[in-house]
Amino acid sequence: MNQAIRDKAKELLASGAVSCVIGYDVGSDGINARPFFAYTEEEADGLAFDQTCTHNLVKYLIDRAGKATAIVVKPCDARALTVLINEKQVKREEVFIIGAVCHGIIESTWGQKGSDLQGRCQTCTQHTPLVYDLLVGEPMAEPTPKAPLDHRAATLANMSVAERAAFWAEQFQRCLRCNACRQVCPGCYCAECFVDQLDPEWVGIRIDLPEKWLWNTIRAFHLAGRCVGCDECQRVCPVNIPLGLLNHKLEEEVATLFDFRPGVKADVPAPLETFKKDEKLGIGE
Amino acid sequence: MALDYQPKIVGFLCNWCSYAGADMAGTSRLTYPPNIRIIRVPCSGRVDATLVTKCFQQGADAVLVAGCHPGECHYSEGNYHARRRFTVLRELLSFLGIEKDRLRLEWVSAAEGKKFSQLVSEFSAEIAHLGPRKDNGKAAGGSL
Repeated sequence: MNQAIRDKAKELLASGAVSCVIGYDVGSDGINARPFFAYTEEEADGLAFDQTCTHNLVKYLIDRAGKATAIVVKPCDARALTVLINEKQVKREEVFIIGAVCHGIIESTWGQKGSDLQGRCQTCTQHTPLVYDLLVGEPMAEPTPKAPLDHRAATLANMSVAERAAFWAEQFQRCLRCNACRQVCPGCYCAECFVDQLDPEWVGIRIDLPEKWLWNTIRAFHLAGRCVGCDECQRVCPVNIPLGLLNHKLEEEVATLFDFRPGVKADVPAPLETFKKDEKLGIGE
Repeated sequence: MALDYQPKIVGFLCNWCSYAGADMAGTSRLTYPPNIRIIRVPCSGRVDATLVTKCFQQGADAVLVAGCHPGECHYSEGNYHARRRFTVLRELLSFLGIEKDRLRLEWVSAAEGKKFSQLVSEFSAEIAHLGPRKDNGKAAGGSL
């Protein structure tokens, strides 16, 4: 698999078809993968793919606009890439997609290789990316959908509003407003995020629950119908706020209301960018 | 619940229909409760989810968004976008602990002064019945 990626990368770089290959190499702890940019054929020898390649690299493509680039994607990354292409942030013809058959990413910490699959991978339904120019790895039967691991989603749905409010107040109270969730998210590419705007100042400078609540609410809402469920926001959160719970809730709502799954089809607008004139949504009727 | 509890409702009214509808209610001498604070906006489609969420953050008991009836939008399609947006936002807010009933989207035309006055009376009574926000203002930074 590594060799297939390296060979293709070298071929693309040598022919000048792309000027950079974005992939993974082994990080400085010798175990975990890290993002890696290969600009020359020699550098392409460093490319690798294994079960520690947790990062979603497609966001780097936005900065590479106008320059042909090859990229290594997992199935979830491929969905995020489709979202970016649909939203005209990335041009399909500028990207060579090296799709990797993914057996799931394992939980690992610095210097230590874990053995358990990440939560998102335990419930994942795709081993093979939906979109690619070259597929590496042996294609395998797709897994059957499983119930979400985080049982809190079902528990929350049965709680009273007061209990739900208390639950989220407790979660959001920990927020440091470090914005790591935004920085890592492939869907968060606005040149100026609403949270950074000073005029109007949507979110105040104070670091307290009201500001944290507003930030986390709107961050989730802006990803409604766009989030591909890669759970990277949750992984990078330094205080373990279950952002995936919010994202998955909206994902389910959008699937129920509009029969839409983000990143599955090309050239389909996100449900909140479009409308149907005669739809009945149970509001304003 | 204290008897003198008065809900605070923020109303975003579209300039072309609902604001004129509210005006019609006034010129027709129809009464409605003073719990609603009206903000005139160009279109219901202009009402960003952040505006509504910010109202709740600042301690509003409820938010009303009113615009032209489907098919009658001054900008052709703003209200269709609003319809999808607030359907989803209501679900999110409910998941976060704010009752769905506290966010309402309604269609009020410029001729429907009576509808507007009834709508605000009903909505205000409903929110008064619902009582103060269940998050005890924990998420609320201030009061309107």
